Amino acid sequence: MSRFSRWSLALPMALLALATIYPLLFTANVASKSRREYILDRFSLADTARWANIDTAWNSVGMGRYFANSLIVVTASVVLLLLIGSMAGFALSQLRFRGSSAIFLGCLAALFIPFQVIMVPLARIMADSGLIDTYPGLVLAYVAQFLPFTVFLMTSYYKTVPAEIIDAARIDGSSAYGVYRRIMLPLGTPALLSVGILDALFCWNDVLISLLMMPSADHRTLMVGVTSLRGQYSDDIPTFAAGVLIAAVPVLVVYLFLQRQITDGVAAGSTKG
Amino acid sequence: MPIANPPPSARSAEPGRTGGAAPSGQGVRRSGSGRDQRRAVGRPRADRLAPYVLVAPAVLVIVVLRLWPLLLGANFSFTGDGQRNGTTVGLDNYLELFRDPLFRGALRNVGLLVLILPVAVAIPGLLATFIHLRVPGHRLYRSVYFFPAVLSPVIVGAIFNLLLAFDGPLNAVLGAVGIGPVDWLGDPDVAMFTVVGVHVWATFGMALVVFLAGFATLDATLVEAARVDGASLPQIIWHVIAPSLIRTIQFVFVTTMIGMLTSMFGLLYVMTSGGPEGSTYLPEYYIWVQQGQLNRPALASAASTVLFLIMLVVGLLQISLLRRAGREA
Amino acid sequence: MSAVLVAGLALAGCGSAAGPRSTPGGSDGRLVVWDWKSGEPSAASYIEQAKADFAKKHPDVTVDFVNQPFDQYYTLLGAAIQSGKGPDVILFNGGGQIRDRVDALMPLDDYLAEDRQRLAGWDAFTRDGRTYASPVTLQGHPIYYNKTLYEKAGLDPANPAMTWDEFVDDCAAITKATGARCFALGNKEGYGIQFFLSGLASGILTPQEYDAWVGGKRDWTSPNVKRIFELWKEAGDKGLNNDGANSTAMFNDSFALFQSGKAAHVIGLMSDVGHWRDFSEFLTADKLGVMDAPVVSSGAIPSLPYDGGIGYAVAKWTKDPKVAADLVRSLTSTDALSAFYAGAGAIASDTTIDVSGGGPAVATIVSKIKTGKPAPHVALSSKTLDLMGRLSQQLLSGSVTVDEAVKQLAASDQAG
Repeated sequence: MSRFSRWSLALPMALLALATIYPLLFTANVASKSRREYILDRFSLADTARWANIDTAWNSVGMGRYFANSLIVVTASVVLLLLIGSMAGFALSQLRFRGSSAIFLGCLAALFIPFQVIMVPLARIMADSGLIDTYPGLVLAYVAQFLPFTVFLMTSYYKTVPAEIIDAARIDGSSAYGVYRRIMLPLGTPALLSVGILDALFCWNDVLISLLMMPSADHRTLMVGVTSLRGQYSDDIPTFAAGVLIAAVPVLVVYLFLQRQITDGVAAGSTKG
Repeated sequence: MPIANPPPSARSAEPGRTGGAAPSGQGVRRSGSGRDQRRAVGRPRADRLAPYVLVAPAVLVIVVLRLWPLLLGANFSFTGDGQRNGTTVGLDNYLELFRDPLFRGALRNVGLLVLILPVAVAIPGLLATFIHLRVPGHRLYRSVYFFPAVLSPVIVGAIFNLLLAFDGPLNAVLGAVGIGPVDWLGDPDVAMFTVVGVHVWATFGMALVVFLAGFATLDATLVEAARVDGASLPQIIWHVIAPSLIRTIQFVFVTTMIGMLTSMFGLLYVMTSGGPEGSTYLPEYYIWVQQGQLNRPALASAASTVLFLIMLVVGLLQISLLRRAGREA
Repeated sequence: MSAVLVAGLALAGCGSAAGPRSTPGGSDGRLVVWDWKSGEPSAASYIEQAKADFAKKHPDVTVDFVNQPFDQYYTLLGAAIQSGKGPDVILFNGGGQIRDRVDALMPLDDYLAEDRQRLAGWDAFTRDGRTYASPVTLQGHPIYYNKTLYEKAGLDPANPAMTWDEFVDDCAAITKATGARCFALGNKEGYGIQFFLSGLASGILTPQEYDAWVGGKRDWTSPNVKRIFELWKEAGDKGLNNDGANSTAMFNDSFALFQSGKAAHVIGLMSDVGHWRDFSEFLTADKLGVMDAPVVSSGAIPSLPYDGGIGYAVAKWTKDPKVAADLVRSLTSTDALSAFYAGAGAIASDTTIDVSGGGPAVATIVSKIKTGKPAPHVALSSKTLDLMGRLSQQLLSGSVTVDEAVKQLAASDQAG
């Protein structure tokens, strides 16, 4: 690319970067305003950095507890998703067995099921099996919700792994499980990281599934807590903005850390392969 | 992410294959499967069972917690609401749906979304390309473009409500350059585009992550070679990058469509409430209104079943179209 | 890890495993309440009072309040009702939201007899002669006005217009003198028309027509009914509303316009938000007025439109309805409701509460409760209200005629 075209692209991209940072800054600004200040002028800079809203948001609905709940549930869900998803992805992409295309089609169909259509039956299945209002129940609901996505993705990714690599391992006497553990898992690092980020983001930001599966107040997840800061008439926007900030910052930190690993992980994965 | 190309070092282990443009997955898979069948005879029983063991958890979860509830839900759509609760009503709910101008409007909006879809895929694709080609500041862009994706749709909607208000800052800027105010969220001909625009803006970061992972395994020598041959940027994108990333693109197409059709509730709720004049209804919002506000759960089930079928058809169509495009490239 | 998962799934599939501690509703010694209020700081003392009152009656029963986000409240409730498992005590909006769901609720007439006289607003929670919830607040639509703007325009803030023509003239004077519009209107969600209909109908319909309307015998061919929608369109065409009414949210953009003096009037609420207490941060008590609906047609007698606002109901699956009903009674006790009035400024259903310290606006509202009547829009079905919202936006943008709109509304209303 010529020097000129690089810079001519950089300008609009920098503007877009500004536009993508703006809402976060806006949220942070609103979060440090008083309600009165917000009603009078939404855009002006807060006169002082106020921590009161963060404090209210954190304490009013027991955010600490919700934070821990979210952390437990999201971690367990993502680990399970990646494990089950990569196992299935490996089998569906590299091993030929009776029924594999039917299974892949089933996953694909499951990908297109809107949550609303299965919401009530799923709640009933969970309630009947005693899993409602338990951590395993919510984890299972998340795994079910995002597994088709994860399998679809891991299958496409593993399809691109050349047969020669697997053949070589087979000649060395590895079983299918050995190939999965020693070759497919390390080789899949970039895909696992990216899909892990997205799965984690989906689970972390989910409100509806969590509300449905965890009816007790002390089993709530963070985003549910944040959402319930808005009443029927969404009156206290500054406190809500503070809650949004509490929920968003950890995700941002994790993303900023992992997005380097995605690109770095490719090199690591491929050399091992 | 569905990366079209094997990692660079793996590729070099494969002599005799040139160019990244060929859809490599196909060939690999065919050779792989032949090998498996050949070996299956002499393999121990445990190894023959291995694929089933590996897919079992996924199959179990998907069948029990996705497909089975789907059947139950679809079954529910053939029963009645209110007075006719629990009784079988055949196709009544479906007939009512297709007679409801609001639902027909929602379906028209689905058509509109499908038309806009390529744009929603192209934007993160192009941005990822530029980042991959290291425009000045690419490290920064790679980080900040993801920012909107971590904010809840409710707050994104609230911010854009303010920015796009009739007396808001955007109209003030337009007024300053002599363009009359646009009622971004109040004009039925404009509102749908406004909401979709905000949705794309709020979610392109996720597609960007997928594309970046795809680019991470793109063979840099191909782009370099094309550049040496004097290809322009659009040519490189069209002839080298796009065909190599066909699986990534396919994946982004499908997931973006799912995002547009099933996760715009938050934005619609905050930004337009389906209005003005019902112009921003999507099936998802229709389902929410019928289920929660109007207490018609069976009708909502019918609407969700229709939404599922539409997504299935459109999604499979996209996958096969893109696959064909990949072969021809 | 996956072995555990598989085992769990197998159980889920058979549906055999019973969960003793899993069902949130109806287990002994514990009551679960669903609402969307208990998380608000202004309701904290109310909930405290109610809990204390209930603890005196049933010290061995624990009460869990589950504050749900309002966006998903009725969706979640629908799921809970369909699976027959849910909370014991449920907060409802009056009108269609509770009437549509009485199949899942327990009639409370036998338990609440003692509260009948003390509380107002029962009709909104009644269907086919049975009462399903006890009212907590009253909700209605007074017309608030900004006295400062009246003064600036040289008008007497103590004597607002009595007829529509005078009202329009006053508005013209205010706009000329201050630039403020006549009405702050938010019709993005289609709520604007509901408030307009309820706020002004008593000045348009004759008392007989009004009573027939709220009693279910609506004559959509009456010229006065048509007049309501003509007036809505005229107000839009003549520029009485703020710009972009169809993209302005009722909550809380239209109220912000009124509070900040950009509009002289707003048809607001009595409880929750958009009411006298809510405005008091910007409009002090002596600058906020409440007026009667201006009279449009001869023979009309203005009255305050109000109904029961929110109320607590008991689910029919609860183990011990008596205990649950006692909780409902605690939630509507005079002490608790006084705390709600003091904390949130809600006009409580308990009319014995002293509001004399609240300023002239709240005094005016409370004084009109005796002669008030149910709000016309609450009498309409959820479906008709939904349609009316869309038609009202079309009326403002000019893409439908008044005749056509009234025809469609009549058809929807008569279909049930």
